[in-house]
Amino acid sequence: MPVSRRQVLAGSAVSAAALASGFPAPAIAQNEPIKIGYLPALTGPSSSTGVGINRGTQLAVELVNKEGGIKGRKIELISRDTQSDPTKAVNAVAELTQRAKASMIWGPLNSGEALAATPLIARDKVPMLHPCWVDSLIDVKKYPMSFRIAPTNTQVGKGANHYVVNVLKLKKVAVISDTTGYGTDSVNTYVPMLKAMGAEVVYTNHIDAANPDLKPELLRMQSAGAQAIMPWSVNAGFLSRICNTRGAMNWDVPIVGQTTLGSGQTKALLEKPEYWNKVYSNNFRNCCYIGGKLPPRAAEFVERLKKDKVEFGDTLLWWVALGWDGAMMMAETFKNAGTKNDDIVAYMNKVKGWPGIYGTVTWTPEQHNGFPDQEVVMCEVNSLKDGAFNIAPGYSS
Amino acid sequence: MLQSIVSYGLAVGAVYALIGITYNVMFSASRVFSFTAGMLGMLGGVLGALFINKLGMNAVLAFLLVLAAGAVLGVITEILTVRPVLKSIEQHLYVLSTLAFALMIQQVVAIYWGTEAQPFPVLVPIDPNSALSIIDQKIWLPVLACIVTIVGLELLYRRTLIGRAFLAIAEDSYAARALGLPETQLRIASYAIAGMIGVLAGFTGAQMLLAYFGNQAILNFYGFVPVALGGMGSNRGAVVGGLALGLFQQAANFLVGGIFASVAVFAVFIVVLLLRPEGLAGAAAARRV
Repeated sequence: MPVSRRQVLAGSAVSAAALASGFPAPAIAQNEPIKIGYLPALTGPSSSTGVGINRGTQLAVELVNKEGGIKGRKIELISRDTQSDPTKAVNAVAELTQRAKASMIWGPLNSGEALAATPLIARDKVPMLHPCWVDSLIDVKKYPMSFRIAPTNTQVGKGANHYVVNVLKLKKVAVISDTTGYGTDSVNTYVPMLKAMGAEVVYTNHIDAANPDLKPELLRMQSAGAQAIMPWSVNAGFLSRICNTRGAMNWDVPIVGQTTLGSGQTKALLEKPEYWNKVYSNNFRNCCYIGGKLPPRAAEFVERLKKDKVEFGDTLLWWVALGWDGAMMMAETFKNAGTKNDDIVAYMNKVKGWPGIYGTVTWTPEQHNGFPDQEVVMCEVNSLKDGAFNIAPGYSS
Repeated sequence: MLQSIVSYGLAVGAVYALIGITYNVMFSASRVFSFTAGMLGMLGGVLGALFINKLGMNAVLAFLLVLAAGAVLGVITEILTVRPVLKSIEQHLYVLSTLAFALMIQQVVAIYWGTEAQPFPVLVPIDPNSALSIIDQKIWLPVLACIVTIVGLELLYRRTLIGRAFLAIAEDSYAARALGLPETQLRIASYAIAGMIGVLAGFTGAQMLLAYFGNQAILNFYGFVPVALGGMGSNRGAVVGGLALGLFQQAANFLVGGIFASVAVFAVFIVVLLLRPEGLAGAAAARRV
């Protein structure tokens, strides 16, 4: 029987009216898994973070599904390895938002990829949760469906500055970076913050990370009267050279800076293990040993990991915890708000004091940066045990 | 300060000089400016760290294997990237073929070795209380390698028959071929020698530069500067140019620091080339009329 255009239009109108009036959806949709588009960097140069976060994410999703899912619906992670490449992240976005019809996007997990992918996810109007630090990734006007479950770069710098100026009570600081965009931006952002806190920035410079001899730089810092060195770089070779040169000069000022200072790659490049003393890197209060013990939430989480025989000695506790928190936050959102985009955003806009393992999250309609300042702390890099570090000396417990 | 400028400057300069010699040896044999010199330097460090740190070999065996790998890579470079473009050398296709090969190898290193710098072991165990430990071996090792290389090459080129054959090819390959010299075999041998010198630079300089895939670009460029300064094909010029570059770079590190040190190096490089385009040790090319 031929179908006229009028009949098709009439049918469409009835369907639309049924949807608008809350007509029950077909039973099959109620049993379909809830799809999360997931963009981790599991390979490539930035993959160590992604591998750690992935471990926590997979574990949380397995647990939610084992316990019956969300109102009977399983969570399906549709994972696309970005290979640490923004181009691949961008290609995966179209697949996840348009073809796979993901209810939410978790990631990308690295800022470089997130910078490229976020505008596209926002264009497709899919809610997005990510753990990247670059400040500009959150903008409620440009990206109203994007939420951050980690600190911003500004918070990270503020945490380090607070430690140097208010905890260690040091006022003369040398701030340096490599010549990358991250390094130069960090110095340009953090130096005015330090000055506003009353510190005197006695030396600042951008240095070629490949320079094999940093003694001239450190001599200049020393003669300028620096009481602390704050290097901003993710280059383990550069950071280890700073530690090695400081050690060879028998200069015992603290080095305070980014998380890579405490990475295994940096440790491997030290000429002597003691050159890692008095080096403090960014970390997060809930994932640090305080008085020899992890905070209760993290301790319970580690017990669970051990019980489930999840290996985390080769990664960092805060990476695994962050992956867990991301997945659990999305599961809780689906449970309370369903899978419609606007409902998800409306629910997340009201999250207040959500007790994650990695951090406590609060969002409002005006502020989608959810991590509290006071939970960004510094840790002793030479204290790594079971994926976690001791909180740096001087903080109150 | 002066001690640090001289010691570090000479050490880094020696590495640059060895890479410059690598460029020259390949250039003399083929008139091709092969951009695989930095790749060879990078591999010297990476392979050395792989053999010693990861596979647990002793330093001598690792050194010999690294030299062998350099020779093999030199030969592969000649066969894959140089020989096919020799017929149309005036089109400078070798820039693409040698650079593409070097980038391919660098990507393989990035994938299988990693993109983070990795440690290179101390090669010569020296008691820290002995007189020998006054100068760090990361300083004297590349300088020693540079001296041995330049003396060895001088002896090879001046005192041996095969060395004279190399010179004959470098001077006039058509005439040398007419005299019955096996040009292809001599060119392959030159590339093998260049390969060994390139990895020697990386191996002896790796305590300072670390085993890092990113060293390729740095060595490719800073190794080219002594060749341009010293004159293409002149090994002595490359040594003088390399050491001068190292000393100047280190002095700039102390005097201006940061990224301005690199700017100072480039500025002097441009000025020298403007004043003497043929290089400090090179002779101005005669124009045919």
